[in-house]
Amino acid sequence: MTAGGPLGGRATSVAHAGGHGAVLRPRRGAALSERLAGRVFLACAVLAGVAAMAVVGVLAWESAAFFSQVSPARLLTDPSWTPLAEEPRFGILPLVAATAQIVAGAAAVAFPLGLLTAIYLQYYAGPRTGAVLTAAVTLLAAVPTVVYGYVALNFVTPALRGILPGIGAFNAFSACLAVGVMILPTVALLSRSALAAVPHSLLETGMALGAARARVLTRAAIPAASRGIAAAMALAVARAAGETMIVTLAAGNQARLTGNPLEGLRTLTAFIAQTSMSDPAPGTIEHHALATVAAVLFVGGYAVCALARWIGRAR
Amino acid sequence: MTPLATRDLLGTACRLGAALTLTAAIALLGVLLVQALGVVDVGFLAGAPSRFASRAGVGPAIAGTLWLAVLTAALSFPVGIGAAVYFEEYAPRNRLAGLAGSALANMAGVPPVVFGVAGLALFVRGMGLGPTILAAGLTLAMLALPTVLVNSRTALRQVPRGVRDAASALGATRWQVIRRQVLPAAGPGIVTGLTLALTRTVGAAAPLLVLGAPAFVTHAPRTPGDILTALPTQAFTWSTRTEADFVALAAGTAVTLLVLLLTVNLGALVLRRRLR
Repeated sequence: MTAGGPLGGRATSVAHAGGHGAVLRPRRGAALSERLAGRVFLACAVLAGVAAMAVVGVLAWESAAFFSQVSPARLLTDPSWTPLAEEPRFGILPLVAATAQIVAGAAAVAFPLGLLTAIYLQYYAGPRTGAVLTAAVTLLAAVPTVVYGYVALNFVTPALRGILPGIGAFNAFSACLAVGVMILPTVALLSRSALAAVPHSLLETGMALGAARARVLTRAAIPAASRGIAAAMALAVARAAGETMIVTLAAGNQARLTGNPLEGLRTLTAFIAQTSMSDPAPGTIEHHALATVAAVLFVGGYAVCALARWIGRAR
Repeated sequence: MTPLATRDLLGTACRLGAALTLTAAIALLGVLLVQALGVVDVGFLAGAPSRFASRAGVGPAIAGTLWLAVLTAALSFPVGIGAAVYFEEYAPRNRLAGLAGSALANMAGVPPVVFGVAGLALFVRGMGLGPTILAAGLTLAMLALPTVLVNSRTALRQVPRGVRDAASALGATRWQVIRRQVLPAAGPGIVTGLTLALTRTVGAAAPLLVLGAPAFVTHAPRTPGDILTALPTQAFTWSTRTEADFVALAAGTAVTLLVLLLTVNLGALVLRRRLR
């Protein structure tokens, strides 16, 4: 803020030298708006910080109440999660494993499809095909996740039943497919910008050496963009792990974890959605469990985002 | 490009991948539109939820979502853009400011449902607002804020250094440089970032469910103090019904929401053209 003073002074003296004093605001007013602007912007940054701290604070506060009743060791080692049982047990592993299963399934769909789509858009598509495909991917990105959940539950699962008769009404398979398509735009669009940032000279060098297009792409372009592509995939993983509506609608709410994708499961996010819909009273262990699971998701999402930003920036 | 490209395995794979992506988009949209076709009419858009699928409508939910969009924008845009200007133009170039900026940016990776849990404790219970439009607007604003901040910073950073130097060299003060040169130059980029943040936030159902959005609201909210209802939660409620009529209603709600979000995008496109 101190830089505002001398700069303000210079503005006036330059104007005096030019002799256009009438155009200028009085020096005092300028200095005031100058100081005020700096303070307002600082206040905005502080307010953003306060909002973030409020989220962290409230989750930490309620998690602390949870940990006064359940030790962190039990949370991490108990093999079952039954908050509503007479003897409630709070082992978060089944929820974490379910989330990991959804993330892995979604990644199996979105990583190859997204990357291939990105390469196609950047290096193969003609202008018209490229425009149509970009519009389609952008549209997929704009679709709210509740809509994906709706389609997974009411259309994907019934369609799968024709191929896999043993599939449950709630199942991990169709949730994985839907989450995969939901994160596909993240992978495709961000990977494409990473590919677009590869210097043209690199590609031209490869071409000049007589390498085929596929060879130039696999040996030069994709490795050069690999950091950006990895960051895109990390962000997609964060979105898949935090996805709530698709898994709540399509994968159901069974806490037991069999690993069988044809059966339902319950992720960290689905637990929050389902439990809060039953509106547990404040102060109960169930309510504290809600905040604790939210805190776990917070730390996970925050860390993956930090990782993605670090991968994307480092060279 | 080269004669050897005839045996381009990668090209074949890319065409296949792109075709599958396009198929997924068309299938998703096709299913929605076919389902919504017989549902969306004036009665549906103006009517209220009902026990009878044939009479049910999304009037209150549309009003709720419009309220939420306005509140989220009004609360998160000024603070987010202001903080972005602070970090890009005012903050000292030291480790502490860098860390604070990163700490806020990483909040963008936190899942929306977590903001619902925080909003429930802070606004619904802590401030005693209950499951109202205002509590939801505050929660969604907190959710949108990190994205607004990150996207605005990216837009500001794309304004060439030379613009600032040139204006300063002509004697403009820091605030004059920002107001007359940097913000206008970054305008289109900021608008793009704001649109992304707003559409993603307003489409989110999870935080609203956690806040306790009731499944059945028949009166359109008139003030921010009114009970919470919105298109994403309405779509969720009807998605969980087993009757085919209600499943179609969910598709109609989803299409209404999509049209609303695409309208916001279109508005942003027009605004961007004008700013350029």
